[in-house]
Amino acid sequence: MAILVNKKTKVIVQGITGHAGSFHAEQCKEYGTKVVGGVTPGKGGEKILSLPVFDTVLEAKKALSPDATLIFVPPPFAADAILEAEDAGIELIICITEGIPVKDMLEVKQVMSRSKSRLIGPNCPGVITPGECKIGIMPGYIHKRGKVGIVSRSGTLTYEAVWQTTQLGLGQSTCVGIGGDPLNGTNFVDILKLFEKDPETEGILLIGEIGGDAEEQAAEWAAKHCTKPLAVFIAGATAPEGKRMGHAGAIISGGKGTAAEKYAAFEKARATITKSPAEMGHAIKQAMSK
Amino acid sequence: MNLHEYQAKKILKKYGLPIPEFGVASSVEEARRIADELHLTQAVLKIQVHAGGRGKAGGVKFAKTKEEIGKLAKQLIGMKMVNQQTGPEGVIAHKILISKPADIEKEFYLGAVIDRDSARPILIASPEGGMEIEEIAHKSPEKILKLPFSSDGKLRSYQLLRLTKFMGWSGPLAKQGAMIAAKLAKCFMDVDASLLEINPLVQTPTGELLLLDAKLSIDDNALFRQPEIAAFYDPTQVSVQEAAAKQFELAYIAMHGDIGCMVNGAGLAMATMDIIQLFGGAPANFLDVGGGSSKEKVAEGFRIILSDPKVKAILVNIFGGIMNCATLAEGIVNACKEQKIKVPLVVRMEGTNVEEGKRILKESGLKIITAEDFKKAAELAVAAARGKK
Repeated sequence: MAILVNKKTKVIVQGITGHAGSFHAEQCKEYGTKVVGGVTPGKGGEKILSLPVFDTVLEAKKALSPDATLIFVPPPFAADAILEAEDAGIELIICITEGIPVKDMLEVKQVMSRSKSRLIGPNCPGVITPGECKIGIMPGYIHKRGKVGIVSRSGTLTYEAVWQTTQLGLGQSTCVGIGGDPLNGTNFVDILKLFEKDPETEGILLIGEIGGDAEEQAAEWAAKHCTKPLAVFIAGATAPEGKRMGHAGAIISGGKGTAAEKYAAFEKARATITKSPAEMGHAIKQAMSK
Repeated sequence: MNLHEYQAKKILKKYGLPIPEFGVASSVEEARRIADELHLTQAVLKIQVHAGGRGKAGGVKFAKTKEEIGKLAKQLIGMKMVNQQTGPEGVIAHKILISKPADIEKEFYLGAVIDRDSARPILIASPEGGMEIEEIAHKSPEKILKLPFSSDGKLRSYQLLRLTKFMGWSGPLAKQGAMIAAKLAKCFMDVDASLLEINPLVQTPTGELLLLDAKLSIDDNALFRQPEIAAFYDPTQVSVQEAAAKQFELAYIAMHGDIGCMVNGAGLAMATMDIIQLFGGAPANFLDVGGGSSKEKVAEGFRIILSDPKVKAILVNIFGGIMNCATLAEGIVNACKEQKIKVPLVVRMEGTNVEEGKRILKESGLKIITAEDFKKAAELAVAAARGKK
């Protein structure tokens, strides 16, 4: 089962002729993902990795009927790329691009809130259902099909969690990077809802970080609706106030958005908490054996 | 990116917002010239630093005579301000703002931020200006009004009416207040701001509103389309390390500990600092070398960490995704050969091409402590910083 993506998911890549786009399109294809084509304005009719390239998403949609798109378009044009995918009716839009201006995302959020499409990211590693479909930039081999659903605002910290659960033999149902920007398409609560309904997901590992209150909202939802074991790590307990810690969204401002507040919210929700990023795998294992 | 008060005021002035006449000086001569040009017989002098709490730190002075302007300018220019926000290193004021004083009858607060929850820009207003908005929110939350506005910076007329009533403005004051709020919202969106604060906005005895202080931060991701504002960047307000990191597009933040950290990815970099602290150590910095990093970036990251005299040990923690471990290993080896690293170096690598990365480190002949996992790496780094092998 898993969530969002599976072996049937057909994917196009926006920005497929660029350096990152072509590299990762190839990586995804090698992993076994059904990459069916790509979009780069002005390069329609060409071929790359023996895949057809289109000028617009709409043309690609008509020719290939993809279920998902993976976006590698540079920041100044990335919001447009998302809006174009939405307009063409692509159901799942995964945007890897880091550095999209917040103002551009305001408009994207407005459109997405009324849309049937779902946006994952931006500034995220993507989504993977191990053994079936990888739409993103994560190294495939660290994953192992299994029981844990992982959702995170980070990239490499997610790989760390994946690796730990793989080594413990738990494996993952699906891993979702929701991204490190202050405004993103899909939040923790949305993904928790999907994991809750997915029979293959037996436990959920949530990796949050400082800034905003997406974790607090997730804790509130989990307390009421989550029947599955939930383990949590929050990055940034040592982060100073008022500094952006690498991610645009990772900032404590006016005393709000601290790791302590977020941990407290999850404690109240009776989640299993670990303050060591080296123990994320053990934490979910422990939660699942209760 | 944070702007200085004088930079923010320059921008706001273009919108026709009422701001007391001001000049910026970086020398006593300039300060005197500004006093002449603006015909000042009295003035407020404020240090221009990227930190709050200037008044309490002695960085804001009132000159009662023209002569005093020069005297106080001499005191303030080059002043080092140290408080909780700046850390023990402090920040140096290379410039001061010299402003015509205003008589104050009442202080208000007007600000704008992007509200993450509703994904909309909001105007924040309070009739209780002069203190921090967080303090107002804590003491009397009913005295804060929040008005969402459109992403092209438009407040509706009914919102402006609500605002003026809330602030207790009527007649010409209401008209001027509404104009100020509308222009601030417009400016906020025009310049891709992430934070704008006018605190205080003051009412003078003659019934005029004036913007006395201004704080403006711009979305870093939008600087590519705000070239005029990007040119306001002031590298003197951050540590030498932070300024160097910015040049190479590395995310670096100075901390107070002694373990230098080099990590790929923001989340893992934060988590690495957290685990160091968990094992009783203290990180010297946050450094995210990024996902698609090059050998050169890694080498530069090393240079930056090593230029911090506090560093007693270095922990490199890389989970190769886009960045492959061999690239990282080559970067480390180059940096180590180029500049003699005298402090212990702990490396933990995992992910793409890890075997090749480990081989490169091993064959380099360098004294590198390799750690098998995340936990072990943190333990080794903390022990190394304490001088234990």
